[in-house]
Amino acid sequence: MATTARGGGEREPAAGSGGGGGAAAEMEVEAYRRLFPVAYFERHLRESVRLDARPLASPRDTSVALGLVGSADGSALVKFGDTTMVAAIKLEVMTPPAESSDEGSVAVDFYMPPICSPTVRPGRSAEVAPVISKQLSDVIMSSGMINLKDLCLINGKASWIAYLDIYCLNADGSLFDAALVSAVAAFTHCIDDGRVVTVPGELEGKTKLPLVNKDKRKLMLNNVPFSLTCGLHKEHILVDPTAEEESIIETFVTVVLDTLGRVVSVYKPGGSVLAYTSILKECITLAKRRAQQLRNILNESVSAMEVDKSS
Amino acid sequence: MGNTRVIVAVYGPREVQNKSQQNNNQALVRCEYSMANFSTGDRTRRQKGDRRSTEISLVIRQTMEASILTHLMPRSQIDIFVQVLQADGGTRSACINAATLALADAGIPMRDIVTSCTAGYLCSTPLLDLNYVEDSAGGPDVTVGILSKMDKVTLLQMDAKLPMDIFENVMQLAIEGCKAIANYIREVLLENTKQLESRRGG
Repeated sequence: MATTARGGGEREPAAGSGGGGGAAAEMEVEAYRRLFPVAYFERHLRESVRLDARPLASPRDTSVALGLVGSADGSALVKFGDTTMVAAIKLEVMTPPAESSDEGSVAVDFYMPPICSPTVRPGRSAEVAPVISKQLSDVIMSSGMINLKDLCLINGKASWIAYLDIYCLNADGSLFDAALVSAVAAFTHCIDDGRVVTVPGELEGKTKLPLVNKDKRKLMLNNVPFSLTCGLHKEHILVDPTAEEESIIETFVTVVLDTLGRVVSVYKPGGSVLAYTSILKECITLAKRRAQQLRNILNESVSAMEVDKSS
Repeated sequence: MGNTRVIVAVYGPREVQNKSQQNNNQALVRCEYSMANFSTGDRTRRQKGDRRSTEISLVIRQTMEASILTHLMPRSQIDIFVQVLQADGGTRSACINAATLALADAGIPMRDIVTSCTAGYLCSTPLLDLNYVEDSAGGPDVTVGILSKMDKVTLLQMDAKLPMDIFENVMQLAIEGCKAIANYIREVLLENTKQLESRRGG
């Protein structure tokens, strides 16, 4: 049956020397994995290792690439291991409503097309997609990352609305975290390219309109939020779960922190594990570490992009 | 292909989700084409079932079905999901080329590599692989899909009027484009297989 030496690694090549015996053992491991997922998983946990041979508190390799989509004003591709998200921002002009005449607006949409996972059927969108969409929208607004007054063009008449579309191309766990990083990265990349726009209803009787938006400028971001999702299983805390782990674990805690280390949001939607405050504090500490890591990765990719542009 | 960026995922062969459509003699091929909201110049909120998406889904499905050896996998389903991330003309062709690569990556048995390319005729010159600007100029647009080694045409679409002899030239140009793409795809697949082999320790 499953040997503990095999530490997971679903794509680990069968040892060449195993030959026929190796192949048979691999089949048994795969069968055990499918038939008794919880037991397979707990066997790994006892050795303090996870299904892909990661230590419990270690997140997956993360990469961020900016400017993937040329036709959008800002875009980013984020990968957490296999989880892949593409975010793109398009800026359009709108008339602001009377009660917030000097503010722009941000519309966040999260899509999970059937490409992302074998469980998503065409015609019926994934259950989690609108949940994540709402969570993202709430976090982006409440963290104050974007100052909406920055998005104003002409007070009362015109302001930018930033349409942020995030597409999940591969769903392998930690969808909210990856989506948030991609949203933040896309905003970091977003350049208001100073294009001339006509304000609806303003052309009659005016021959010369003052150009309001002349230079290219980047959006000023403050209090950038970063998040971390941990799964709780019995007494273990698993950082950055994959889809396979998410199907076994039922309890998740998502913590969102901003640049000053303040907690923007904590989300624990029920689950069989009832957590003590000590566990929540542990999650917040892990989130702090992860936020630092993500900040470094994001800064690196921004400077890589600026080098590309200037060269 | 140029600025047109497309990603394709293939799932299958797997169990048929809608039992009433199950075919006992061959595999069911399903295809869904969707464009991201930010893929074109203006952000348009696209409905899932809009006419253009349905038409292109059908075209891609029938083109790939001609090549997949469906009789080897009865009572199963192969899903091809296409997502357009950036559109700059020739999306249909890019989708078919990507679908071929995805099917090959999935190890699904096919008769031959299906490649596709567009060609047009503007200012008395046949042009290969039109981008969005050239396509909107209003000249004819011929899309050709071929099975490269077998030299058979599986897809041929054209709109606008074109005299017969010029049409033959344009179609020939498109076929040459397809063959060039097929060579490139073959190289990429070979390279990929070599990498997989070395990773496996073989």
